[in-house]
Amino acid sequence: MEGQEKYFQNHWSLRLIRWLCKPELLEEIEGNLIEYQEILLAEKNSFIRLRYWHQVLCYLRPSTLKSITHSKYNTMFYFNPLITFRNLYRHRASSLLNIVCFTLGLTSVLFLYFYIQAELNHDAIPADSERMYRVLRKSISMDEQYEIGVSSSRYAELLKIDHPEDIESTSRIYYDNALVSHQAIRYQENRVIFADPNFFEFFNFPLTEGNSATALQDKNQVVITDKMAQKYFGDKNPIGKVLKLDNEFSFVVSGIAQAIPGKSHIQYDIVLPLSHMQRYAWYGSLTNNICITYLKLSTANNAAGVRAQIPSFMKKHFGEDYAQTGRWIDFDIEPFNDVYFNNKTRYDPVNHGDLSAVRLLIIVAISILFIACFNYVNLSISHSFIRAKEIGIRKVLGVEKGRLVFQFLGESLMILLMAILISVFLCIALRPTLNAYFDLEVMYNWTDFNVLGFFGLLIFIILLTSGLYPALMMSSFEPLKVLKGNRNFFSNKPVLRKGLVITQFVISSFMIIATLLIGIQTHFVNNKELGFNKESVVIVKLNNQQIADKADMFKKQLLEESAIQYASTLSGEPGGFHDGAMLEISGLSESVIVRTLFSDEDYLNVLDVQMSAGAPFRKVADGNPQRFLLLNEKALKETGLKAEELIGRTASLPGWGIDEPFKITGIVKDFHFSSLHDQIEPMAIMSGGWHRKMAIKINANDLRNTLSTIEGLYAGLAPDFPIQYSFLDDGLAKLYENEQKQTRIFSIFSMVSILLACLGIFGLAAYSSQRRQKELSIRKILGASSAQIIGLISKEFLLSVVVAVVIAVPGVWYFMEQWLEGFAYRIQLPDNWYIFVLGGAATLCISLITVIIKTYGVAIADPSETIRNE
Amino acid sequence: MKRTNLGEFEELLLMIVLILQEEAYILRIKEETFNQIGRKMSMGALHTTLSRLEKKEFLSSEMMGATKERGGRRKRVYELTAAGKAALIEAKELRSNLWKQIPDVALRFSLI
Repeated sequence: MEGQEKYFQNHWSLRLIRWLCKPELLEEIEGNLIEYQEILLAEKNSFIRLRYWHQVLCYLRPSTLKSITHSKYNTMFYFNPLITFRNLYRHRASSLLNIVCFTLGLTSVLFLYFYIQAELNHDAIPADSERMYRVLRKSISMDEQYEIGVSSSRYAELLKIDHPEDIESTSRIYYDNALVSHQAIRYQENRVIFADPNFFEFFNFPLTEGNSATALQDKNQVVITDKMAQKYFGDKNPIGKVLKLDNEFSFVVSGIAQAIPGKSHIQYDIVLPLSHMQRYAWYGSLTNNICITYLKLSTANNAAGVRAQIPSFMKKHFGEDYAQTGRWIDFDIEPFNDVYFNNKTRYDPVNHGDLSAVRLLIIVAISILFIACFNYVNLSISHSFIRAKEIGIRKVLGVEKGRLVFQFLGESLMILLMAILISVFLCIALRPTLNAYFDLEVMYNWTDFNVLGFFGLLIFIILLTSGLYPALMMSSFEPLKVLKGNRNFFSNKPVLRKGLVITQFVISSFMIIATLLIGIQTHFVNNKELGFNKESVVIVKLNNQQIADKADMFKKQLLEESAIQYASTLSGEPGGFHDGAMLEISGLSESVIVRTLFSDEDYLNVLDVQMSAGAPFRKVADGNPQRFLLLNEKALKETGLKAEELIGRTASLPGWGIDEPFKITGIVKDFHFSSLHDQIEPMAIMSGGWHRKMAIKINANDLRNTLSTIEGLYAGLAPDFPIQYSFLDDGLAKLYENEQKQTRIFSIFSMVSILLACLGIFGLAAYSSQRRQKELSIRKILGASSAQIIGLISKEFLLSVVVAVVIAVPGVWYFMEQWLEGFAYRIQLPDNWYIFVLGGAATLCISLITVIIKTYGVAIADPSETIRNE
Repeated sequence: MKRTNLGEFEELLLMIVLILQEEAYILRIKEETFNQIGRKMSMGALHTTLSRLEKKEFLSSEMMGATKERGGRRKRVYELTAAGKAALIEAKELRSNLWKQIPDVALRFSLI
């Protein structure tokens, strides 16, 4: 019995009651509970514990609980927040400044966080991605080794046969675009893919309707996304309905696919069976690289084994081919998760992210966060001298140091919470604007566990970095000194504050200079002499059989129009596709690797490309098999011959199935037929061949009418297909889209960073002038001018900014040197030294203006006003 | 008519307290409410009602009678005040008065 009594006395339910309930009721309640348990035990009731706890919990109600205003926690729950609010309100200018700083910083960071998170979580759907690989073809051109994303359709089966243990399954995707129609609804679709029947199971892509195992089993089946279903069939059930491809082939809808959530390098709207491609002769060729091949290995460890056997595989299947062409061919396997950020691969139709942009933005986000935190630290420290008396009196009245730390942290937390609330709101409100401006697709997912974790961490880190130091510093004031009015109780060594200001401006000036340089490089690229005239050239795609068959007729009709100067069929426009080939020139032992362009006699006219030697090729009569060829200067240099020696020779493309040799008629001046990221490569312009596009040089005067004329002619020749055209200069601008994007992002966020840094010194200048008001007034009385006084205050900040700029310059030099290495044609940093001066000067000016705005008021104040008040 | 502000359950509780006399503490009251009127009440809920009655000055209470079963703690024993008794009687009279006025036929079950 004794033991039981003890048990009751100390049972933690009783302690709970003691903790929460009114002390005058404790004896009764405890007694009742103990007796009740006794009864329960005596009755041998079931669920004793449950019944007992039910009673305990039922006792916790308003009539029994301690009143919060009378508990010792009252200070914590009521007075502390009240004091915090009063303090924030009393110093509302600085509170507002702090909130604005944090809000600006946090809004930027949150927006960037969601962007970065989505990019880094790319390709999240496939379940076994760690053992999935993609086949990369390796090739060599101009001694430069590069990789090709597409591979022959036969790799999959051959690899599976050769490595049955290592490779569990394979899947292939062929990217295409096509004219898709359902009755009268016709659209040109750019995200059409042909895939193996196991596509949906292999990648784990979900189907909302249809069976993922059998949806692509038959040759005439098609799976479409829900968006496409809405587009072609409206609200009707699309299953079993027919979609036509290029007005020729019919497919029955067998499934509806969900849009892939998040970022994915595989993108599709319409999925067709790859077996459909078997009707084409080129499909089964081992040398024709057409589709992306994915391998799923039995385990991720098998990758090394597969790689080790590549040489023997290549020898087995490509030995003959190599002996014939002498062109080096190899392949490698690339981890599935690396595909998304691998921008270097050529002929890669998949959707890519930009890792360098992501890295850049991570740096930007962290920098902005730092600046915002530093602002807070600096402002709180400077501010603390104003509150020194309050702190001193609190200490005299016996407040412990711990309590003070707690209070200051509470104030920081309050400011931070307000800033977060506003930021979240701003983020949601500004999302469409920001997405449109930066050309991003940022989505928010606030309820994600990771996001909440990130928020928690963010609050914790900010509180720790920006709240803790000022709190500790302020709480350690010695009350005696403070109350005696000794103003040297701190700031004897403003090293930390100065250090933080310097760091802020290092970041800001870094970003300003980098923004200027990126802008200059972009300008340089956009205005570089390309060697041809990109203005007023319309490129019409000849991407269907109807128009391709009548290309000559189309050209003839175009040239009859007065508004059209020239027209030329070609295999690829500048910035577009130029296939690589080995060119054998008669009398030369070694063949030259060139980029090919098939066109006609008007190519040079349309683009205004200049000849350097010889003559452009002439038009040949229909049926004449004579073929001509022009080389560029780079190719001439490659051959090691003089122009006169080369002109007149013949050349051939082995393995291309062209029997007639080409006659070299001339040399054209080098022009930039690919992006300025790459050097100019040797090039051969050849007559005849594969014409995929029509380039039309028009008079720019009457653009609208000319375009509708072209549309009319096209519609007359290919009535079943809509025309697709673009402007050459637009297409070229797209090559530098990434740089354009980065310029925008960098310029906006460098503005945010300089704004934040300026808000910081604005606050610092305010406190500095306020604190020194009396000193300054006396100086004025003794004859100092307003300008001298402004100079006095500005001096301490300007020195920091100058130091910051000096520190930033080498850093930004190094960083930009790295960035510019991505361009074959780039600005030289030493030529642009003035940008560094300009950037530094801009930083200095902006900060100077900020300080002057704040100190002007103090400088012109009537000294008698300030001195009178003691 | 003077309002006594006595709810139905409050009235029943007052009567139970009267019945229990010296035994009128919360556990017994809980037991009686279950036995007599079939209501299962938690002690917490009873406490709220009883304190309300105390506040209305119909009940008074005293701490007394520590026992071993209660771990040496006293119990709060409730007792009706004069006002409580008066209110109870008034309620009873009000009812019997009303009862008297109901014609016999009115309570007969109708066959319609």
